[in-house]
Amino acid sequence: MSRTSTSKARSDLLQEVRIYSPERSVRTDISEVVDFIRASFPSLKINVKRSPLTSIKKANTEDSAIRLVQARVKDPTRRLQSFEPMFGEVEFERRAILGEANVGGIVYDGRLLEEIMIEFAGIGSPLTTASLVLTDRLVSTYSEDDVRHHLRTVVFGFPSIISLPGIVEAPAKPREYYMLKQALEAEGASELHFERLKSEFRDRFIDYDDARTTEVMKGLTLQTIMYHLTLEPFCRNKSCRFFNAHWQEELIEGQVTKGVLCEEHLRRVKSLGKNPRIGWTAR
Amino acid sequence: MPIFAKSSESSVTRAIISQFAKDMQGFAETDVIVIGGGPSGLMAARDLALKGVRVLVVERNNYLGGGFWIGGFLMNTITIRAPAHKILDELKIKYEMYEKGLYMTPGPLACSKLIASACEAGVSILNMTQFDDIVLREKNRVAGAVINWTPVSALPRQITCVDPVALESKLVIDATGHDAMVVRKLEERGLIKIPGFGAMWIEKSEDAVVEHSGFCHPGLIVTGMAVSTTFGLPRMGPTFGSMLLSGRRGADVAYKHLKGKK
Repeated sequence: MSRTSTSKARSDLLQEVRIYSPERSVRTDISEVVDFIRASFPSLKINVKRSPLTSIKKANTEDSAIRLVQARVKDPTRRLQSFEPMFGEVEFERRAILGEANVGGIVYDGRLLEEIMIEFAGIGSPLTTASLVLTDRLVSTYSEDDVRHHLRTVVFGFPSIISLPGIVEAPAKPREYYMLKQALEAEGASELHFERLKSEFRDRFIDYDDARTTEVMKGLTLQTIMYHLTLEPFCRNKSCRFFNAHWQEELIEGQVTKGVLCEEHLRRVKSLGKNPRIGWTAR
Repeated sequence: MPIFAKSSESSVTRAIISQFAKDMQGFAETDVIVIGGGPSGLMAARDLALKGVRVLVVERNNYLGGGFWIGGFLMNTITIRAPAHKILDELKIKYEMYEKGLYMTPGPLACSKLIASACEAGVSILNMTQFDDIVLREKNRVAGAVINWTPVSALPRQITCVDPVALESKLVIDATGHDAMVVRKLEERGLIKIPGFGAMWIEKSEDAVVEHSGFCHPGLIVTGMAVSTTFGLPRMGPTFGSMLLSGRRGADVAYKHLKGKK
């Protein structure tokens, strides 16, 4: 009995965190994120690996390219449906896998992306390793609540995915931003208007190439580890790094301005840092 | 003493007909046909012509340039984001910096310079000519375009029973804007399914337009706004900078393909 129990405890102990780099972007300082996680979880091995979506075996390139096309969300108001991939779409994904194309602007279903990474890159197991994939792709999940896709900053799972453009696009910008945007659009779309919009609200949302992204990444990475250990990555306290931000201003407050954990989560992280036990498998 | 040299109506007519007939002999079989003479089509054609590729632009209007003459709200200032301003340098188009990374130039200046640059590079133009259909070859490879005079489509059929003519080419570039007219012909035959526009508004969608510029079907390359339609990219009107870069990328893809075939 005790032997079984000891064996189970070992297999339920998180031993390693693997952070997979984004496909091409280099703005996020992953070493800072690694140091941040190491401070809370000193016993864990933390390894940074190449993006699974650019290190697919040559023999699997065509198949994975087709699957990536089929993971594209073409109509956010509908659940993903199977369709025949276009020659050009497959060609694009093939180039993206080979690192010859940037992947911005397309939205992919987060769950299908996970499946592709598990199938073609073999990541996500064993459970003693928490895998976190950073990606330059926009990622969404379909919600049954309002029957549509929603962009996500993080898709929690095995592996978890953090979308770098999702940090910019998924949480809503301030209400006034959209009101001004609507007013400016009535005058005709123009890059000048777009730049004006951005400059007026610059401090109130995370932009592309924003220096604050690394700080946000630290909190999101911590959330994915908490999910791996407890399946409960969120906190209701807006000032805590575990708060599930739906607005950019909440994201900035939780991850940058305050950038701390609430008392309850500070205590939990300290405890898990000493004993990173994957608690939910015993349920 | 008269200002102009002596000539006759018949000489003028013969000059027009003989040159046009000579041009059409060449157009009947060429390297690349670009359908649509907007910024992306002209840019693609210019780049290819500069590399010695025989290119024909088919434009349904009398004028070339598409929407490149004018900016937002009918105001004729064109805005270009870096790095597309480097193309303005290449075309010797004067511009001003509005702020870091954002540049302005008068639409008429930019557009006329682009047209001139394409023509000087050796691009052939068939304006007032409408794309009618595609030419297909083995395995449904696109291998040319069927064209007709634009006025033919504007008149009742009983008056204008004018059959079109077909031009053969190694590649066709669809630069017809949101209409994606060439791609639609493939869709009509059930060879391709266009997803339409994505409904999400995403800033980086103009990057996606450039990145997706290239083959969408064997023998057919898409550039410009037609890329958005063809690949169902998220909304946000792609900007003139992305049109120029999309054309350039389309030309690169076409050239590599042609070179590989030689």
